[in-house]
Amino acid sequence: MKAFFTLVFILLSSHSYALEEAEQLFNQLKPSLYQIKLIDKASGEKSSIGSGFQISSDGIIATNYHVISSYALHPNKYRIEYFDYQGNKGNLSLQSVDVINDLALVRRDVEHEMQFFELSQNTPHKGEQLFSLGNPHDLGMIVVPGTYNGLKKESFNERIHFTGSINSGMSGGPVVNKSAQVVGVNVATSGNSIGFLVPHDKLVNLFEAYLNTAPQSISEQMTEQLITSQNKLISTILDSPWQAKKLGEKAIIPIIDVPFVRCWGDSNADKADALILTAVANCSLDENTYISSQFFTGTMEIEFRTMQAKDIGASKFYRLYQQQISHAGAGNRANKENITQYQCHHDLVMPDNQAINNKTIFCTRAYKKFPDLFDILYLSASIDKENQALVSHFTIAGINKPNALAFTRQFMEAVLWN
Amino acid sequence: MELTTEELRTQQGSIEKTPADEIIIEEISRNHKLLHRHKLSQAQIHIGRDYHNDIILADPHICPSHLSLEYIDGNWVIADNQTVNGSFIENIKEKKHPANNHVVCDGDVITLGKSQLRIFFTNHPVAPTVAFSPFESFINLMRHPIALLLSIAIFSLIAAGVFYLNTPKEVNFSQLLVPTITMAVGFALWPAGVALVSHLSKHDARVMAQLGISFAFFNLMWLGDFLGEIAAFNSASDAIMPIVAILISAALAYSLFWLNGYIGFHMSAKRRNIVAASITILLFGGSYLVQYSNKAEFNARPEYDATLMMPSFLLAPSSTTDKFIADSGKLFDKTSKKAKQK
Repeated sequence: MKAFFTLVFILLSSHSYALEEAEQLFNQLKPSLYQIKLIDKASGEKSSIGSGFQISSDGIIATNYHVISSYALHPNKYRIEYFDYQGNKGNLSLQSVDVINDLALVRRDVEHEMQFFELSQNTPHKGEQLFSLGNPHDLGMIVVPGTYNGLKKESFNERIHFTGSINSGMSGGPVVNKSAQVVGVNVATSGNSIGFLVPHDKLVNLFEAYLNTAPQSISEQMTEQLITSQNKLISTILDSPWQAKKLGEKAIIPIIDVPFVRCWGDSNADKADALILTAVANCSLDENTYISSQFFTGTMEIEFRTMQAKDIGASKFYRLYQQQISHAGAGNRANKENITQYQCHHDLVMPDNQAINNKTIFCTRAYKKFPDLFDILYLSASIDKENQALVSHFTIAGINKPNALAFTRQFMEAVLWN
Repeated sequence: MELTTEELRTQQGSIEKTPADEIIIEEISRNHKLLHRHKLSQAQIHIGRDYHNDIILADPHICPSHLSLEYIDGNWVIADNQTVNGSFIENIKEKKHPANNHVVCDGDVITLGKSQLRIFFTNHPVAPTVAFSPFESFINLMRHPIALLLSIAIFSLIAAGVFYLNTPKEVNFSQLLVPTITMAVGFALWPAGVALVSHLSKHDARVMAQLGISFAFFNLMWLGDFLGEIAAFNSASDAIMPIVAILISAALAYSLFWLNGYIGFHMSAKRRNIVAASITILLFGGSYLVQYSNKAEFNARPEYDATLMMPSFLLAPSSTTDKFIADSGKLFDKTSKKAKQK
């Protein structure tokens, strides 16, 4: 009985210890926490909100790029404002961004040296308790305890998988360990207490690069980051093994063997009345790069589709086949402000392996603000079998010309009939 | 006094030679279409609403004894009988003026009440004979009931075929029948409409000829479409074949409208050309305009040619990957330029 009481007492005390710890941490850190608001100059009202935290004594504040993206793209339309824990407000100036990792550095004016967050030296271990700080839905600063669950396996750009509820408005807020060191930055959630953080080393790199040389132009910095990132992505993909895989009965398609491209499949084999038997394999990159709410890039999707006519003649089969390929669209959201219209080229193409004959369409549109970057769309339909067809299709957003053509060439040679 | 046969003949001959003792009076509609024609040879002609007159007109605005024409000293002179609404002369030389005491010239138009009369002398020149156009035999062939039936049957078969090919489900015969008949009837409305208009404008309706010609051309247009599709399928983006296909279908449409006009209306060749060209431009220009106005200022989706046909229609050789990559590479420079223009 005595032992039981002791156990309960220990449990209770450890629980209250955790609460106390969170409260203590929060009180210790709150002078360096900010709510960040983007104010529309013309209307004087806020257009987006997020969180931020100070990382230097002279007023450098870290937040998410997506919190201040409107300002980065339209500096004349908005201004950035901070609110500290005492309700003081002031203007912030944009210093540097990392659009790939969704980070930004802004600066406030300081009169004297201020308290700031210390960035961690090492990564947490699995299961370690972390505390996410931020201001969800403009409700006030809160602290959310949660656990570190390693890096998200399927992402090309590293993200920490954090078990704890992160809500909108907490974006840009810090996640600290028990020693109040920053180990990540709140960035996204997929609901049900699954949150994603930008690892602290990305912030360390950005901050060090900024201390070294501050960027001259934010848009040039973004262009450079986008080009570097797609170079890294495409060279990884082109250097990885492409496994030849059977789709349907006769088709051979490439499956790119990298963890960040994930594939799904479907077919209509269960539909007895279907005129055409279809099997589809879809592969896509599980992430994208946020430029603005109207413009995403960095996406990649690949689709293969085989079709086999069941009870219909070749003429009807080809007519329905044409309807299938008539409506391909872009894989990323983009608008007139950011991109040109697509320009397309089509031709009959037989790859060098002579194993298939295709009607092939290639379309591209250019980015208006980031020179030398394009979205591409490829669509190829086999035209050499009476009652069978193979469609191969991909879209890639934010790629330069050499990478686009190198990927297209490799892809064209990898799709064929068995 | 006795006249010899010879003299009599000479006298009669001289009588016949007098240009104006025979006169042609045409009742015409307000847009100068012929309603009735009278050829008279007496020296005095009475025109009016009552039944004593030589020419009786039913127009209520005309007086019972409205006017008379009298042959005096080799001229026809009009006498208006102080009528309520008057009589007026119109011709190419003069402005419209009251008709009383007017000396009639060849081609004068007299307005009385709301009616019009046109006067010709026997020596009025007529237009040269219009020869049958070479299309006449084609028109005669196409309006033959068997030929007409055959073209409608071909049209319906093609319509049913197209409907069958485009339906992604299984279809039975009766499901094909309804849209096919609807389509055939819908397309028959055009020749029927043209025939109706020519009937209303006092021309021969010639329904069979209109139907025969129209369906023959509709079938030719299907053929044109099909050839255009083969061309699109076999050519790369920069080829001119698709433009040629559009020109061919415009030429076919022009020919159809020209023949519709030729069958249904009597008009000069120049006028017929203008009418056919206008309808063609209206049709093609109109559909282009509709497309153009519906087109969004910015389209985030690509527009490409997706024509696919069975391998048996594959006539052109395929390009190599190298050529395709090189051609596609050019698009990057094109869009980059557009991006810089903003």
